[in-house]
Amino acid sequence: MSQRIFHHPVLGSMEERTALQFQFNGAVYTAYEGETIAGALLAAGVRTLRVHEETGAPRGIYCNIGHCYECRVHVDGIPTVRACMTLVTEGMCVTAGSVLPTPLKKGGHAK
Amino acid sequence: MNDVLVIGAGPAGLSAAIAAARQGLSVKIVDEFYRPGGRLLGQLHEEPDGVWWNGLAEAARLDQEARALGVNISCGVSVYDIARCDDRWRISTTEGEWESSLLLIATGASEAAVPVPGWTLPGVMSIGAAQVMTNVQRVRVGKKGVVIGVNILSVAIARELQLAGVHVEQLILPPLSEVSGKAGRPHEIMRSLLRVAHLAPSPVIRLGSKLMGSAWMQRLAVAFFPSKGVRMWDMPIHLRTAALEIVGTSQVEGVRTARVTPEGLPIPGTEQLIPADFVCIAGGLSPLAELAAIAGCPFAYVPALGGHVPLHDEYMKTPLPGLYVAGNITGIESAKVAMSQGTVAGLSMAQASGLLADDSLLSQAQLQVKRVRQNATIQFHPDIAAGRELVGQMAAAWTAR
Amino acid sequence: MDAQQVIICRCEEVSLEELLSTAREYQCTARELKLRTRAGMGCCGGRTCRILIEQIVEQATGQVPTHTVSLGYQPPVRPISFQTLGGKSS
Repeated sequence: MSQRIFHHPVLGSMEERTALQFQFNGAVYTAYEGETIAGALLAAGVRTLRVHEETGAPRGIYCNIGHCYECRVHVDGIPTVRACMTLVTEGMCVTAGSVLPTPLKKGGHAK
Repeated sequence: MNDVLVIGAGPAGLSAAIAAARQGLSVKIVDEFYRPGGRLLGQLHEEPDGVWWNGLAEAARLDQEARALGVNISCGVSVYDIARCDDRWRISTTEGEWESSLLLIATGASEAAVPVPGWTLPGVMSIGAAQVMTNVQRVRVGKKGVVIGVNILSVAIARELQLAGVHVEQLILPPLSEVSGKAGRPHEIMRSLLRVAHLAPSPVIRLGSKLMGSAWMQRLAVAFFPSKGVRMWDMPIHLRTAALEIVGTSQVEGVRTARVTPEGLPIPGTEQLIPADFVCIAGGLSPLAELAAIAGCPFAYVPALGGHVPLHDEYMKTPLPGLYVAGNITGIESAKVAMSQGTVAGLSMAQASGLLADDSLLSQAQLQVKRVRQNATIQFHPDIAAGRELVGQMAAAWTAR
Repeated sequence: MDAQQVIICRCEEVSLEELLSTAREYQCTARELKLRTRAGMGCCGGRTCRILIEQIVEQATGQVPTHTVSLGYQPPVRPISFQTLGGKSS
């Protein structure tokens, strides 16, 4: 069930917005114009946006205003894009980053 | 080339742009957020007189006024460097480079974190993140959650979450640690809450707070703080409960808590698990001064203002030629103070350009900053005025070197 | 989780325990602590943890914050591509 706040007791009802479709990790989601990637995914119940590049620990938004870079995703092939600061556009293709090899780290190993 | 470049389209930046544009300067604002308004956008609270402060509406008003005056606003643009180039400032951004002789840095504040074991799990976010998600993105952050960190901001935002149909189970303290500062100490939190108790809708809390002027009464209040918490706006605030750990496999599933002593130490045998699908962490705010630093601006360390603030005088001018600051970057206060500071900065820049026809506008604007501060319903910190004095003195001393 | 295992630098996953023991052992400045542990060197540019690092240094060595910012800022303060540096807009 969508977690969108269509009706707010003080802010009023959300005005009509154009619906957009985008992909995250291969699955199709709906967003509304003006929503960020992070907002649209959260509305669909998706919290995990990437994994830590070394430990693989799941990460999602933390600050939501572009300071912490926890929400960084790949958008249409471009890496390190903040999901919380990027408005969804029609047909956008978003993917989460994965664990990266650390062949030079002491005790680490190439994957 | 623009007369004035402004970094930050929040209440300070927009107000400065309006003031400068009114005096005939050409102004360009860049902001990395996707729409103008800064942190004003998410603000939504009821003032004591019953009127709602609606940040979205205030931001729209400022944005409209700025655009009507010809101010150029570029959103979604990040500034990554500032350098001096002859007698001008050059800002490097993700959409190109711009130069001007007058530069205003109005980048606001960042949130200071209070780490809690498990805080990197998806579903844990800063309290400001929850405000933006709720009031700007209009998305609920979860079904049921816990707010860790009790202060003016967290209580106000918990109320905003509640308004939007998000259940806030409890507001509790963070665990005591080397990095929790005062946040984990019930006595400290009680003291800071009492400063805003006059805003409480409940007459019981308002009356009770009037009686608690003395330290020993405050200690009594903490000692006998109800175990079920005190309900303010129907939210349980627990000064004697702290989070131990946020748990979950791939995202937040709950928070382990314990009752704590009046000093904040966990009491053995009192552990509980609160199921939750989101957690908000509320530390405090701190000036986001990185751009002022790389521009070479000197700083003052003033805890009452939130940390390191760029030196500036009452004209919002830093010791560096043509460089101004306004808003939360100068110290953490309200959006209204930010707006009035922005107006001063805009008029100062007009004066520096020889375009300010009426100097009394500037002195009136400076008085307005003081007036707004005095009339504030919430005093963010008791030592703000003294802090600002210190910054002014240090700025004067720096310039006199 | 042992409370000291709490992560301080989220970007580099550096724990409180590692920072405290390193700061205590070397009685170092915030800058040296950053160089030894990588805390503050991650993608966010230290924005999230710089104040925490300073608090830990204060706890471990007694060094209190001065008017000079202890962890210097270096441009670029946002991660940018070579393309952007080369003058092409992203």
